[in-house]
Amino acid sequence: MSFAIATTLDEALAALAAGARPIAGGSDLVVAARHGKAPLPQSLIAIHRLGELTEITESVDGLRIGALVTHATLMAHPMIGRAYSGLADASALVGSPSTRNVGTIGGNVMNASPAMDTGAPLLVLEAAAELQSALGHRLVPLGELWTGPGRTTAAADELCVALVLPFRRARSGSAYVRLEYRRAMEIAVVGAAAAVVLQADGTVRSVAVALTAVAPTIVAVGGLGPLVGAHPNDEATLGAISAAASAQASPISDVRASDRYRRHCVGVMARRAFEAAAHRAAGETIVVPVNRAYGIGAAR
Amino acid sequence: MTVATPRRFVRADGPDKVTGSGRYTADLTFTGMLAAKFRYAEIAHGRITRLDTTAAQAISGVFAVITDADVPDVRFGPFVADRTLFARDVVRFEGEIVAAVAASTPEIAARAAAAIIVEYEPLPLVTDLEDALTAGASLVHEHWAVYGSADPVVRDRNDASFSSITTGDVDAGMAAADLVIESRFVADGCHAVPIEPRAVVAQWEGNKVTIWTSTQVPFDARAGVCETLEMPASRVRIIVPHLGGGFGGKCGFHYEAHVAALARVAKRPVRLVFSRREEFLAPDRRREGMVIDIRTGVRHDGTITARTGWMAMDNGAYTADAGFFPQLAAMHIAGPYKIPNVSVEAHLVYTNHQPSGSVRAPTAPQACWALESHTDEVAAAVGMDPVAFRKLNAVDTGDVGPSGQTYGEIGVQQCITEATRLVGYGETPLPHDEAIGVAIGWWPSFAVPSGAYIKLDGDGSGQIITGAQECGTGAVMTLRQLAADELGMNPEDFELVYQDTSVAPYDMGATGSQTLFNNGRAVVAAAGQIAEQLRNLAAEFFEASAADIVLADGGAYVAGSPVATVSIAELAGIAASGELLIGHGSGTPPATPQLVGSSCVGDLGMAAFVAPQFSCHAVRIRLDRDTGVVRVLEVAAAHDSGTIINELGALGQVEGGVMMGIGQALTEGTVYDDEGRQRNAGLLEYKLQTCADSPVIRTHFVQIVTPDAGPRGAKGLAEAPNVATAAAIANAIAKLVGTPVRRLPMTPERVWEALQS
Repeated sequence: MSFAIATTLDEALAALAAGARPIAGGSDLVVAARHGKAPLPQSLIAIHRLGELTEITESVDGLRIGALVTHATLMAHPMIGRAYSGLADASALVGSPSTRNVGTIGGNVMNASPAMDTGAPLLVLEAAAELQSALGHRLVPLGELWTGPGRTTAAADELCVALVLPFRRARSGSAYVRLEYRRAMEIAVVGAAAAVVLQADGTVRSVAVALTAVAPTIVAVGGLGPLVGAHPNDEATLGAISAAASAQASPISDVRASDRYRRHCVGVMARRAFEAAAHRAAGETIVVPVNRAYGIGAAR
Repeated sequence: MTVATPRRFVRADGPDKVTGSGRYTADLTFTGMLAAKFRYAEIAHGRITRLDTTAAQAISGVFAVITDADVPDVRFGPFVADRTLFARDVVRFEGEIVAAVAASTPEIAARAAAAIIVEYEPLPLVTDLEDALTAGASLVHEHWAVYGSADPVVRDRNDASFSSITTGDVDAGMAAADLVIESRFVADGCHAVPIEPRAVVAQWEGNKVTIWTSTQVPFDARAGVCETLEMPASRVRIIVPHLGGGFGGKCGFHYEAHVAALARVAKRPVRLVFSRREEFLAPDRRREGMVIDIRTGVRHDGTITARTGWMAMDNGAYTADAGFFPQLAAMHIAGPYKIPNVSVEAHLVYTNHQPSGSVRAPTAPQACWALESHTDEVAAAVGMDPVAFRKLNAVDTGDVGPSGQTYGEIGVQQCITEATRLVGYGETPLPHDEAIGVAIGWWPSFAVPSGAYIKLDGDGSGQIITGAQECGTGAVMTLRQLAADELGMNPEDFELVYQDTSVAPYDMGATGSQTLFNNGRAVVAAAGQIAEQLRNLAAEFFEASAADIVLADGGAYVAGSPVATVSIAELAGIAASGELLIGHGSGTPPATPQLVGSSCVGDLGMAAFVAPQFSCHAVRIRLDRDTGVVRVLEVAAAHDSGTIINELGALGQVEGGVMMGIGQALTEGTVYDDEGRQRNAGLLEYKLQTCADSPVIRTHFVQIVTPDAGPRGAKGLAEAPNVATAAAIANAIAKLVGTPVRRLPMTPERVWEALQS
């Protein structure tokens, strides 16, 4: 087995082209190897020293988040907390403080777990992965990136260098809520993210909902078009979100929960995520993470 | 009698543990040391048809591969001799050890263990507790009848230990009742989960072996090695470096003999370090699953007239120390109540699951959960407030309990009063999604032999050389306080020399909340001998009578003349050139209380509670009705554990017990697949509570100086806080759901299912 530390992006890309696999925080790779899920790759190229991948850049087009940005940074970043709150909600729920200090957004996205917390908010925030190889680079919308648990459309020689999120217009809000059995070191039993944009009159201009841990990948909820123009606080609106999420989920039964319970709960999570996102879109401040402030285990 | 305000001191081993300077067993290395790995059965029940270690032996770097054929022919077990070190002919649970390997690295050892060829003929699985007790059930131990067992153990086929408690006439009692309420509960098994997975290092010198091991019971571990390797105690030395928690899971005899046997064959020191997965699957200590039926007769005025109970408890494949569980569990189904007519029967049932054994307050959290859930149902049936119902029926000072024991001064009534006061029970209306649940519990203290030495060296500093084992409770740390108080010195004047069977006298170990209770007595006795020596020296010094010498503040003086003192250090200096200052102590354990009017089948001494401890936990929770998720917001815990010696340590015990109780209530339970194998043998899927889940915990100690107890009227404490929490949470959940959740743990999905019905 070989392990090398890249000092430039070109070095890292060359190593990938030669068959190495990238490692940053190692919070998925090393844990999976220790648990016997998947052995460590024969050749590893460490990318944690590539400073250019640690930057968060704001522009009129939106936000570019370097692949090495940690969950700890994301959960506390003012711009993300304000305009991309759902991503901050999710980042704040990952593992423990030490997991969040080493775990990176690029690693989380490319690990392609259907239970990843950041996936659903990134999907509703219309994020794309910026993939680079020695031959060039391309932007892949996340809906076209994940193909199954641990599987993506990225080629073996492509490195995710950043996540690109479009600008959020006025009266936008997003949120991520998950079902958890405890408040730290938890993995989503199910989860849901919502992004909402409101009209000036407070009705829905657009809505996107995505679901965590109810399918082989993070999935977007379709058929929400009829909610445009609806009032976000109407029981009919909330019921429609919940019903659509439950109906479109295809959960499994495992040691964490039965499919029946997951299907029910993902509807509850979708409804809560939508409610929180709509409140944020209306200008209300709900502290990150929503799980602590809203719904399950809320402090009063 | 008034009680002195307890002291608060930081435990002596604390700084080592939190700064990382302390050394644990897995930290030890020796020249030429090898790594051990086990080959496990991996199936729950099968007959070995082929076992071939040739390929494993041939791997470069492998120094020893051993199986049943390489160790003495010994069946062992403290209650039923049903176990062998290595599987013999039949494997009975997935974590049974078939072979052991010692190799130059852990990786090579793992490869060699995997290279051992084992083939099985599958045997029928026994996993259902009630089915296992039926006449036609497959047997887990075909030859159970020929196994040796402790005299009072009553056995029959898959029933490894049966016990009953009978008092009065239950038929008449039920006939006298206005209402009879019946309930059924099922508890899943769960685990102790110490932070430190266990480790063992063995090194031979000639025909003597020294074993460093993460055990809670070094003398028990030594006895196990002596029995299975057929050696005298004098040639086996057990040393325990710092122990990273145990919670009962590290009681008993575990792997010390396997590693010693490997080291003898390999002619090298050998170290075994468990993975977390092994820690879940292999030990014969985990909390047992139970099926519980309870029936109570009650009058309209709330008086309980009779109770019957029936329990089946999952013994797993081997009996370990669970032999006494039926009787103890039966006591928890009878409960700390005045009930004139009682009949409880309990069966310890062999299955093809991991063996059960002592985990913090064995049998109590599940049985108390069932009993106290049932008690709320009974109170509701007669239209009484559950707290008022408990106050009416709970035992009090001078009362006779359900097994015919008459109690001295006890504090269960005060515990109910204090816990409900602390949580504000009934004071203000709660939000629609909150409720308070209340439960009471009890637990015995254990009176057993124990010993200690104390010496004061020439500079006046001392050492307490004790057989006691520290498993994290801090009980050993209180010994310094006891010795210091006897001698008028400071705890800091003493170092502890402990956890070494060749150095200190016998102690039962960190089990049964017995350390302070019994070793405290030994230390006080040992210190008393030195106090007498010091008083004699001071009497000579002052030309006074020894009877008039007072030891205080690090010195000695003649009563009435505290201005003229001689320091302990000076007296120790005098002693150093004459008769040395050495004390030894053991003392006599308190006697077992008499039982009147009850009869017990399978009596293993658990129906009479020495210095009984009582508790009441009152818990405020919030329920998310959409998902069934329960959050514990506040726990008030009132405990009668006698005199508190170190308040800081005592609070830690209660808070830890409460957190463990919350886990048992809500998230911790073993899930099995159809093949009898654990599906959640890891910390991702077996969910402990975290600091982030911790509620506000308010503790009150009802301090009653108890005669015939431990030093200064202290009882035990380490297990009692783990008894009533899950029950109190259950009662709060039942208030919000409208019915008890009759399965433990009360997971969100189970709560949600109960909400649907």
